Amino acid sequence: MSDAFIQVENLNYSYAEEDGREIPVLHDISFEIGRGEYVAILGHNGSGKSTLAKLLNLILTPTSGRILFDGKDVAEKELTEDELYQLRRKVGMVFQNPDNQLVATIVEEDVAFGPENLGLPQQEIRRRVDESLAIVGMTEYAHHEPHRLSGGQKQRIAIAGIIAMLPECMIFDESTAMLDPSGRKDVLRTIETLNREKGITVLTITHYMNEAAKADRIIVLDDGRILMEGTPAEVFARPEILRKAGLDVPQCSALVEGLREAGFAISGDCYSPELCAEAICRYIQEKRA
Amino acid sequence: MSVAKIELENVSYVYSKGTPYEVTALDNVSACIKEGSITGIIGHTGSGKSTFVQLLNGLEHAQEGRVLLDGKDIWEKPKEIGKIRFRVGLVMQYPEYQLFEETIRQDIAFGPKNMGLDKEEIEKRVLMAADFVGLERELLDKSPFDLSGGQKRRAAIAGVIAMKPEVLVLDEPAAGLDPLGRDAIFTSLVNYRNETGATVIIVSHSMEDMARFCEELIVLSHAKIVMQGTCSEIFAKADFLSEIGLDVPQITGCMKLLSQKGLSVGDGIYTVEDAVRELSRRLSSL
Repeated sequence: MSDAFIQVENLNYSYAEEDGREIPVLHDISFEIGRGEYVAILGHNGSGKSTLAKLLNLILTPTSGRILFDGKDVAEKELTEDELYQLRRKVGMVFQNPDNQLVATIVEEDVAFGPENLGLPQQEIRRRVDESLAIVGMTEYAHHEPHRLSGGQKQRIAIAGIIAMLPECMIFDESTAMLDPSGRKDVLRTIETLNREKGITVLTITHYMNEAAKADRIIVLDDGRILMEGTPAEVFARPEILRKAGLDVPQCSALVEGLREAGFAISGDCYSPELCAEAICRYIQEKRA
Repeated sequence: MSVAKIELENVSYVYSKGTPYEVTALDNVSACIKEGSITGIIGHTGSGKSTFVQLLNGLEHAQEGRVLLDGKDIWEKPKEIGKIRFRVGLVMQYPEYQLFEETIRQDIAFGPKNMGLDKEEIEKRVLMAADFVGLERELLDKSPFDLSGGQKRRAAIAGVIAMKPEVLVLDEPAAGLDPLGRDAIFTSLVNYRNETGATVIIVSHSMEDMARFCEELIVLSHAKIVMQGTCSEIFAKADFLSEIGLDVPQITGCMKLLSQKGLSVGDGIYTVEDAVRELSRRLSSL
């Protein structure tokens, strides 16, 4: 892929124990995320996915290997404050706990926090805040107090605060893990809008299968290594590998796996109820024909 | 016939009663939770689930109606409500935020200590509880800060199990955990029930988890109980569940699509194993 926005090359990371022992966490990870692509990194706790997120956000520095954003190596040497600032503007990050990401007492002030720090003119800040709140569907809450909102709403305010910086890429680190199903759906819908309509490159780090299913591509991480990479259909067609990685197999994939083991040669993708029901009906028709 | 461990009789609870912010959380709710069962409470956000579980150990006091434990009103002697809380253990959402002692051992011992147990018994309880939740003994002398999120969650649950409650109530015990952490927690709850005969009540948004681990379900919607029954009875009503804003397990959704497409499959199938069995039967008869 020539137009890669994120390139990770032979990335290694180890942390040092108190007694000086090196504990390797990531082993020789390489992948690329194209401009405008939507990629999910799947892995259980301890698979190295949070470490990877921290490396991508430059909270940690790699032991070896390269991380390039927009062609620029960000891990090679310590970045100057100015370079770091430019990078964080380009790459926004949304974390797990919605309560830890809001700073102001009124929603629109919180969203304005980033643009204000960029020193933009007043009208421009106003425009960006209104537009960002509209994108996440929270316009009517502009004058509310963040602490009275639900988790999903808070998370969307956090996202709006980042969109207001006009990022090219957004990284979501377990951003829906603490939300209820409706909050999760709202945030996922927002992520899809950002990617499909605004062309923002999206990387989500998660252990939820249905979340990963929305991505263009999934990278499965286990024990600090890339175990598998492919479209959702390709990844969900390999239940044995998902189980090995400590992940859930979508129930419908497990159903078809069980039926195949029982001798019924059902073919095709089947990770969602719709696909699964279609695959079974197709099998029945072929049998009857 | 199974015995009722907890009963709610015409319970109503209103927050900020008499103010403009008045919210009815539970409206004339009656329910019966069987002794020794694993009962799930489901409902969309704001349906009254959390209020429901907070009434069970007297953390909230219903303005109307009664909560019975073994047939006795838990508020019969209001000054002794503390004793009810030893018998009905409540694990709140994200309980790991409530760990406060210097070591995990001290934190788990907090409940038994308050019960006035002697040192030896407390130590026994701590080890018993740690074993139930699968917390390695060498972690007991660590600070909560040195544990992973999943370990902290288990330590917090152990703190309630150490009181050996007859009823163990958990609000979203697996929220935010990955599949391995989630399975470890649910398995330890099933073990606790199997070995002690306690009643376990779980609130969760995950229908797949509820289908796998619960025997009975109570469905709340807009402050009322709209259904109560076994998992297969409840999940057979997939359309109704969607109407009140709940999901059904993926497998139930798939079976429903198949029956819409004209394949006659049984209602109320909610586990992968049952679905494989049912479909194998149907497909072999082609």
